[in-house]
Amino acid sequence: MKRFVFGALSALALTSTAALAEYPEKEIQGIIQWGAGGSTDTVMRSVTPHAEAALGGTVVMQNMTGGVGAIALNHVVGEDADGYTLLMGAENPMLYKIMGLGDKDYNDFTPISILARGTPMLVANPDAPYNTYAELMDYIKANPGEVRFGATGPGGLPSVVTAMINTIEGDLDVISVPYDGDGPALTALQGGAIDVMPAVLGAAIEGVRAGKMKPLAVFDVERNEKLPDAPVVTEFNAAFETYLPWGPFFGVFVKNGTPDDVIAKLQAAYAEGAKHPDFVELMDNRGFTMMGISGAEADAFLSKWQQGTAWLLQDAGLAKNSPEEFGIARP
Amino acid sequence: MQHIDPEHHDGTSDATPGGTENMRRPGELIFGVVMLVTSLGLLWSAYGISGFEALSAPGSVPMATTLAMVISAALIVAKTARLPLDTSETLSRDILPGVVLIFAAALVGYGILLKPFGFLPTSALFLIGAIKLLARRGWGWTLTVALSSLIVIWLIFRIVFTVLMPAGIVPEAEFIQFFRDLTNGGDA
Amino acid sequence: MNFLTVFTQPQLLMLVGLGTFAGVYVGAIPGLSVTMAVSILISFTFSWDVYPAISLMIGIYMGGVYGGSRTAILLNIPGAPSAIATALDGYPMAKRGEAGTAIGVTTVMSFIGGFIGIGVLAVAAPVVSDFALKFQPRDYMLLAILGILLVGSLSQGSLLKGIFAGALGIAIGAVGRDPLTFTERFTFDFRLLEGGISFIAVMIGMFGVSEALLQLHHVDKDAVRQKINRIVPSLSTVKKHLPLSLQTSTIGVIIGALPGTGGDIAALMAYDHAKRVTKDPEREFGDGAMEGLIAPETANNSAVGGAFIPMMTLGIPGDAVTAIMIGALFIHGLNPGPMLMIDQPDMFWFIVGALVMANIFMVIFGLTGIKLFTKIVEMPRSVLIPLIMLLSIVGAYAVNNSITDVYWMLGFGVFGYFMRHYGYPLGPVILGVILSRLLDDNWRRAIISEREDLGRFFEGIFTSPLSLVLFIAVILIFVSQTPLWTRGKRMLLGRKSESTSK
Repeated sequence: MKRFVFGALSALALTSTAALAEYPEKEIQGIIQWGAGGSTDTVMRSVTPHAEAALGGTVVMQNMTGGVGAIALNHVVGEDADGYTLLMGAENPMLYKIMGLGDKDYNDFTPISILARGTPMLVANPDAPYNTYAELMDYIKANPGEVRFGATGPGGLPSVVTAMINTIEGDLDVISVPYDGDGPALTALQGGAIDVMPAVLGAAIEGVRAGKMKPLAVFDVERNEKLPDAPVVTEFNAAFETYLPWGPFFGVFVKNGTPDDVIAKLQAAYAEGAKHPDFVELMDNRGFTMMGISGAEADAFLSKWQQGTAWLLQDAGLAKNSPEEFGIARP
Repeated sequence: MQHIDPEHHDGTSDATPGGTENMRRPGELIFGVVMLVTSLGLLWSAYGISGFEALSAPGSVPMATTLAMVISAALIVAKTARLPLDTSETLSRDILPGVVLIFAAALVGYGILLKPFGFLPTSALFLIGAIKLLARRGWGWTLTVALSSLIVIWLIFRIVFTVLMPAGIVPEAEFIQFFRDLTNGGDA
Repeated sequence: MNFLTVFTQPQLLMLVGLGTFAGVYVGAIPGLSVTMAVSILISFTFSWDVYPAISLMIGIYMGGVYGGSRTAILLNIPGAPSAIATALDGYPMAKRGEAGTAIGVTTVMSFIGGFIGIGVLAVAAPVVSDFALKFQPRDYMLLAILGILLVGSLSQGSLLKGIFAGALGIAIGAVGRDPLTFTERFTFDFRLLEGGISFIAVMIGMFGVSEALLQLHHVDKDAVRQKINRIVPSLSTVKKHLPLSLQTSTIGVIIGALPGTGGDIAALMAYDHAKRVTKDPEREFGDGAMEGLIAPETANNSAVGGAFIPMMTLGIPGDAVTAIMIGALFIHGLNPGPMLMIDQPDMFWFIVGALVMANIFMVIFGLTGIKLFTKIVEMPRSVLIPLIMLLSIVGAYAVNNSITDVYWMLGFGVFGYFMRHYGYPLGPVILGVILSRLLDDNWRRAIISEREDLGRFFEGIFTSPLSLVLFIAVILIFVSQTPLWTRGKRMLLGRKSESTSK
């Protein structure tokens, strides 16, 4: 029995060495930074089957949650740089350093594909006494300390959007009520527990279409074709152009040091997967802007994103550590 | 609940926990004191989270709960100390017999070996050892039962539910890919 | 596509059946969760049509919620958090050799509860979801306090030890980075603790490993022979308990429909309710009371229908599984949200039909093969104990693919072993962990919304009818647990110790 097992194992080892040239020779693990059912999960689970087809391999995806995604990131850093462990994440790691959440971020990774980015927007309860961004600003000034904004913790999209508004309009006297994600916060908005929520367009769009929440402003430089009637914030205040377009993004990464041919194969596979019409349609429905970038272009996007956001938070007094400490240059 | 069935005395049903009613079991007081000390440590740690910063501070609820732990643990210790020791029981026979210690050690060993060795060898070792020790039957029987149940568990978790247990020294992923290629080849 | 689609298309019928069958086993194995199974199905059914994919998922969901009761009854290890209360009276029944009866009652009652949940979904979904949306943070907080008061009925022994265990559970739930401010709590600067302790790992350790360690004391004792006649409960039994099952099903639907609470809390609250309203049970609760089995099982299955209510009407998940299903609908090109019912009413009726079918399959698979299941308990302990330990390890790992969780699970297993020996109840620990965030997060949201002003906070409670009702319920239950000072004192100082308290 023992000899049989040993023999079978060594035979296997032989076959696998013989096939070494062909990546992937075994299953690839895809570590998803966020929980099942979230946006990152949905995006990754819908693009990966198309990428698998192009790659000719299997990607076994699993969710590893906790620590705002830092648990998953640190796990992948701890694995071998052989291209058999992929990190599937969102924008959060780029703020870990300044938020004191960890000392690793996407600079320790090579982007396989930055798939898409989202657009933030400001939505309000339909019964709220203001209908546009400008009216909201006036209302806040007239009723200090009364309007309740939803938040998702330091570094989350609402905190960045609020920081932009504070920087441009001067500090707003509002109550910031924390939720653990934009889903629960938008639920609370519909129930009247909060009045205003900065959320990603894709999460709010169905509620807006149904009249369960009203759009105050889309945080972009031009109107979104999914919500053509919703004004963009630059129509109210052109000063926002400095920071926009800005948005959360999704990407697939491997650890630095992964062999170039493996990276090339993965990049080609995900580029192919991201072009699949089903995936494009899904992203379009959720109001995401397709990017599908990799290589130097992705690196440039990441560092620009990090510089802008980190300094914005720093200037708004929300950062725990100064971006300077980590060599993040002021944009 | 007035009558505690002797069968339940060991706490195998959560609804009627173990422990004797009017007696102190061996080690019960020590356990109570350990709980009290731990609770105090946790209360201190909870105070360190945010102090008395605000009602909504992240440390408020932890402080309240650890305070409840300290108070209840202290009352439990006081109450336990007043009870007479149950002399019909001994620590080594009724609370921590050898076989429990062996298994606790085996579980710790399992935890240590799991990552470097991998799931399959560690589990095989554990199951064979445990079943051999408990059942005291022949090697043939032990090996058959242990390995066949391990294979079933592995198939369910690894293949059906794609739970990636640490592979360790066994090239699991290559193995599965090999079979996947084989079946794919068959289909084509 | 409508309500009858599932019944007329053999392919869909088969998939619902297959899903339900698989679900029963997924639910029964601790560590394999419905959430996990459904998220794997998303990848698996990726290229399918949306209807077959949803059929399979609904089957797994229904079967899985029910399946958790199996191991709870047979091994005292709840297969899923929603079956914790089931173990309280189910396992004592198995110890008497009545596992067959217990499973039979559980199955029929789950079926009834399931139907009530689906019925409410079909008839009153918009009304219930409007009601669920009315819950403000302070109402969730009051609900959590109501839940914590359950410690009283979950600690049969010393109430004091129950309070300790419950508080410990809340503290365990707070470990890691606080999700609202990312402040570290109870991490002692260990990076491994930043992600917190998975409560499934705590549950598996406390119930699975500690149970296995305890069983080591009885390795040589013969297993209890199970009587497996009289599996299907008689009509009169069902009739007798119908009022109770209607009440507990209502609890299940409402708790299930609230975003943020699910079948686990529903089942525990229902158990507590049963204990309160059952005047003279044939057997004491905790000793194998039929009511103690009926309440959690009707509630957790009616919570399934409840969880679909906000999902179908508003696109808001009622629990973790419906959250993944919303993702699945997205992937299949639908846009779940308030418009779904208007744009695609077919989808709603299709889901209702699939749920009905899954419920029927559940009763079929539940009542067959019981003989095989009861054989598990009759297995020699020398094999069963190592297998429980191994399954506990794999299960704890599977939750979040983390070895740290395995260590925690083992640690809590040993800890739970001592707790059982010294008369500390384990239920309140799990209850505390489940309710920890509900209580903590919502307390903070509530008080932040009132600008840290306690006066405004209480004003809010007294001016909202919903909050007021919940607040009064909290007070009433608290008082009912301590009706007189003397009795309160007696309970505090432990069971039957009037002599010492004087």
